[in-house]
Amino acid sequence: MNIIVSALSFTYPSGVEALHGVNLAIAAGEAVAILGENGAGKTTLVKHFNGLLRPTRGTVAVGGWDTREHSVAQMAARAGYVFQNPDDQLFERTVQAEVMFGPHNLGRTAAEAGAAAADALAQVGLAAQSGANPYDLHLSERKLLALAAVLAMHTPVVVLDEPTTGQDARGVARISGIVEALKAEGRTVIAISHDVDFCAEHFDRVVLMAGGLILADGPAADVFARADDLRRADVEPPQLVRLASALGLLGAPLRTEQFVDLLAQARL
Amino acid sequence: MSAFSLYVDRNSGLNRLNPLTMLALIGFCLVAGLALPGAWAPYAVFLLAILPLAAGGRVLRPFLSAALKIVLPFAVSVTLIQGLFWTGGTPIVHLGPLSLKREGLIFAAQSTGRILAVLGSFLLLALTTRTDALMIALAQHGAPKSLTYIVLATLQIAPRFQAKANTILDAQRARGLEVEGGIGRRVRALIPLTIPLVLGSIVDIEERAIALEARAFSRSGPKTSLLVLRDSHMQRIGRWVLVGGMIAAVILGIVLRR
Repeated sequence: MNIIVSALSFTYPSGVEALHGVNLAIAAGEAVAILGENGAGKTTLVKHFNGLLRPTRGTVAVGGWDTREHSVAQMAARAGYVFQNPDDQLFERTVQAEVMFGPHNLGRTAAEAGAAAADALAQVGLAAQSGANPYDLHLSERKLLALAAVLAMHTPVVVLDEPTTGQDARGVARISGIVEALKAEGRTVIAISHDVDFCAEHFDRVVLMAGGLILADGPAADVFARADDLRRADVEPPQLVRLASALGLLGAPLRTEQFVDLLAQARL
Repeated sequence: MSAFSLYVDRNSGLNRLNPLTMLALIGFCLVAGLALPGAWAPYAVFLLAILPLAAGGRVLRPFLSAALKIVLPFAVSVTLIQGLFWTGGTPIVHLGPLSLKREGLIFAAQSTGRILAVLGSFLLLALTTRTDALMIALAQHGAPKSLTYIVLATLQIAPRFQAKANTILDAQRARGLEVEGGIGRRVRALIPLTIPLVLGSIVDIEERAIALEARAFSRSGPKTSLLVLRDSHMQRIGRWVLVGGMIAAVILGIVLRR
């Protein structure tokens, strides 16, 4: 499902102008990472994708639906949003019930919701804890539970807000696998993150934001090679890009094998 | 995140007063408005003391705006209820089967005047005096420090609570929860909204308590205040004069009512 953002401006009731005429087109099935310093407008932008925020000026359309004309509950069937803090949503007595909450709201039957919850919990590695109380899980597990709660809704668009924050190596690997699985299913995946290495490895396209504007938008390798824009957005390039630059290698390798190839070519 | 406060930062004489002097001034307005006899005494205090002070403190506009929003609905409702439904009394205007009674209207005017004096006094204090400065001034004069913290923390936690409630609302709406519509739908939405809010707040309070203890909050002995409060000999005299004025107003009220 595609997303079309046209001349989007947004001003908070406090008077803070968070977005200034942003234009962005995300095709169905794309994996896009949105990077930028705190206050760049990343969260404000993605909160327009499910109607949590309505444009002050301009439009946002998700799969042809103008977000101004649909409720958040209606938009929730199209764009799932995984919040950064899982504790802002957990309220059910069991992990299973928590994951079934979204599918129930979307009108799925009990059997469908149960099956979707079981799949989602297996995907995030929490199947064994399905009967536990959500508040008995560790924070990293509660984050995975919040992710499962959105995965079970089977939305064509999935927005992840800082998915790797608070996760250990195993948790990051789990989330990496889920992103790859969503991409393989043809779902549109959008992540806001400060974890550039995670974004470089799993997202083909990077949007760089600063001061409510898009500074750079394109293939990850191209954006991570734009040192001036990265500096303006206060974003460090991924470690492999920095290492390649320090060794004088040409190009912006995003994965280990790309770096090894570049190194091998340089030796030749 | 700012604390829940009505304080308006203005470069006025009232803003520069020691919080205890301001408290004494407000106390005088409050006591005079309530203790002096006559239906019009609270109005006189409001018009001759509170309003000029609000103008002098350069907060007249926010003062009038807040006061009217609260007092006007009260005044209208108390006038209609007491005026129309006063038992017995002297009818002065007939409205179909009902009539406005003179005694009911006088009672409504008295009640509105008292509300005006009390609310006006507290509003003036809130608009011209920083809560943290007031609490520190009280603590420096013997009030328990834990009380100071409880009052200030409560004021600071209000906007955090509001922001958290909004985030939870967004998180649940993003999972398809309908929060608008009929009463049944709204009631059903309460549990997903209140449980994370209550649990989150308990966790927040516990973390704050630990953070305070980690910074020696409960250590006995003298503590350094980072906020230096101005005071002067004249202000100290002024405070005693105002306390004397309060006592005089109470005595005058008792004497004149006999």
